[in-house]
Amino acid sequence: MASVSIRNVRKSYGPVEIIKGVSIDIQDGEFVILVGPSGCGKSTLLRMIAGLEEISGGTVAIDDRVVNDVPPKDRDIAMVFQNYALYPHMTIADNMSFALRLKNTAKSEIAAKVERAAGILGLGPLLGRFPRQLSGGQRQRVAMGRAIVRDPKVFLFDEPLSNLDAKLRVQMRTEIKEMHQRLKTTTVYVTHDQIEAMTMADKIVVMHDGIIEQIGAPLDLYDNPANMFVAGFIGSPAMNFIPGSIGGDGFTTEDGSRLPLGGRVPAASDGRPAVYGVRPEHFRLADEGLAAEVVVVEPTGSETQMVLRPLGVKAGREDRKRELTWVLRERTGARPGEVVRIAPDPALAHLFNPDTGLRL
Amino acid sequence: MSILASSDRVAGAASVGRTKRLRPSYWPFVVPALVVVVGVIVFPWVFTLWMSAMEWRVGEEQRFVGLQNYVRLATDLRFLEALGHTLVYTALSVVAPLVLGTAAALAFNTKLPARGLLRGIFVMPMMATPVAIALVWTMMFHPQLGVLNYLLSQIGIGPLQWVYHPSTVILSLVLVETWQWTPLVMLIVLGGLASLPTEPYESAQIDGATAWQRFRYLTLPMIKPFLMVAVIIRSIDALKSFDILYTITQGGPGTASETINLYLYSVAFTYYDIGYGSAIAVVFFVLIILLSLVLLHLRQRSAWNSGDGK
Repeated sequence: MASVSIRNVRKSYGPVEIIKGVSIDIQDGEFVILVGPSGCGKSTLLRMIAGLEEISGGTVAIDDRVVNDVPPKDRDIAMVFQNYALYPHMTIADNMSFALRLKNTAKSEIAAKVERAAGILGLGPLLGRFPRQLSGGQRQRVAMGRAIVRDPKVFLFDEPLSNLDAKLRVQMRTEIKEMHQRLKTTTVYVTHDQIEAMTMADKIVVMHDGIIEQIGAPLDLYDNPANMFVAGFIGSPAMNFIPGSIGGDGFTTEDGSRLPLGGRVPAASDGRPAVYGVRPEHFRLADEGLAAEVVVVEPTGSETQMVLRPLGVKAGREDRKRELTWVLRERTGARPGEVVRIAPDPALAHLFNPDTGLRL
Repeated sequence: MSILASSDRVAGAASVGRTKRLRPSYWPFVVPALVVVVGVIVFPWVFTLWMSAMEWRVGEEQRFVGLQNYVRLATDLRFLEALGHTLVYTALSVVAPLVLGTAAALAFNTKLPARGLLRGIFVMPMMATPVAIALVWTMMFHPQLGVLNYLLSQIGIGPLQWVYHPSTVILSLVLVETWQWTPLVMLIVLGGLASLPTEPYESAQIDGATAWQRFRYLTLPMIKPFLMVAVIIRSIDALKSFDILYTITQGGPGTASETINLYLYSVAFTYYDIGYGSAIAVVFFVLIILLSLVLLHLRQRSAWNSGDGK
């Protein structure tokens, strides 16, 4: 068990800076997820914590000990890789006990630890098999078992579920979360899947282009995104952004519709351009509000997702991003081509500065 | 029950095949290959077997003697000695290039400066004709005029007798064989190293494996199938090695480096004892087949990356 402290960490390959000064504090026992689109530097950051990448600037400390120059094996961490990185020529039991055997741990102790990890993950019957004889989910479980056996201070996960099919991913998500609740080991987990981040994390770190966009608890990020990037990245389907300007006690869209702001008008902002952000589930049918044509209706059973095109927006590829998504819990008889009027819940809407992307 | 059922099915399949095979329109496709195989493989074989059962000296009457040639082999000290030489020579000519070739492959697998050029130079011995190599080494081995003894004298060793002394002749010949065929092993192992997954190494780094432990517990087991291929190729090559031995020593001094191949050659083409020579060829053939079977079995067992490893 340990805390991890990342202070102003940088990474460059030659002249290209991949990570541009990142600081994160991870408490003992916390489950922290680094999330962001491909190429945002999240995996590189994780590999720097592991010691697989050199740190170009700043410090990484595990339990208050700066580990910048400590080799991976002395950092007391365990890592689970996206492609499992199992030893292909060793049995599952040998895979799991490899680290302990290297340390000349007593045979009885190795057996006990492997048995315990196998018990936690349900790997008992597979111990004598080889990795190639296992399914993807089983291999991932072995990779986790290998980490558990080490009993490390910190678990590092690098997109561990990306190679699994959708159903298995949901199942493994639960298993990893359960494992964390049981072992309470500090965990740093990298993913590009915001649903994984939302469902598993104690704390989410949203990264983009080598910087941190926001750090916070999952629902906190969802309810109070600091900027348009976080607002658009967290939540599925993504938040609707409607360009326009602030005027009087409300918001005027580019085509002249009025949207309510619920009295939360920022000071001295009359006439100022802004982006109105509203989540798909925060619309409701209304007598006034935006008039929009139904483009697609996608019922999933538990909810219905609708793509709407505001009247005045032409059909076509360029205007795709002007389309709105509406998610409603009730079933609906709406059909493509019909016109509906919807209004956002002003208490749950957000305003963003269109130039900086920051929340107003 | 299921065994019965499946054997029925196999029998059924075989009978279907048989009716198909009788159809005359297939014959033209099979005949050319069949003629070649029978002509250059089956016939010489059967004929050798037949010759080995004859007393057959060139210029004399041929006489059927049954297994007598084989009985004579079992008590022929020169043959038994040649058998020993063959096994020692083969073992050394497999192990030495294997160890050196693997070491070279590991070196060439790192980011060496001028790696491409060095690798090119390294594989050159493989491209030369064995007889030419043998002639060059014969000169280098010369006790008075050879460059080897000159080099050794510079560091205060020698002079050695190399191929001119019974106790060093086989080692000296193995040296030539090793020099020529280490590059082959290097290429095979290098190909193997390039095909290894990289992730387990990162994992091992975190697991705490030192460089030596990574080699011992990851690299070595994972390139074992490639090593086995190298062992098979080298074993068969070394067993039937003839040109280098014949050119440098002709089995001498005395019979100190006479392998089965060389003995066979003397018996058949110096003493013209065709029947006895054929018997040696048959025994030698059986030896190679047995060794190949053992090696192929080992190769299959070493494969971690295919089949189910049982």
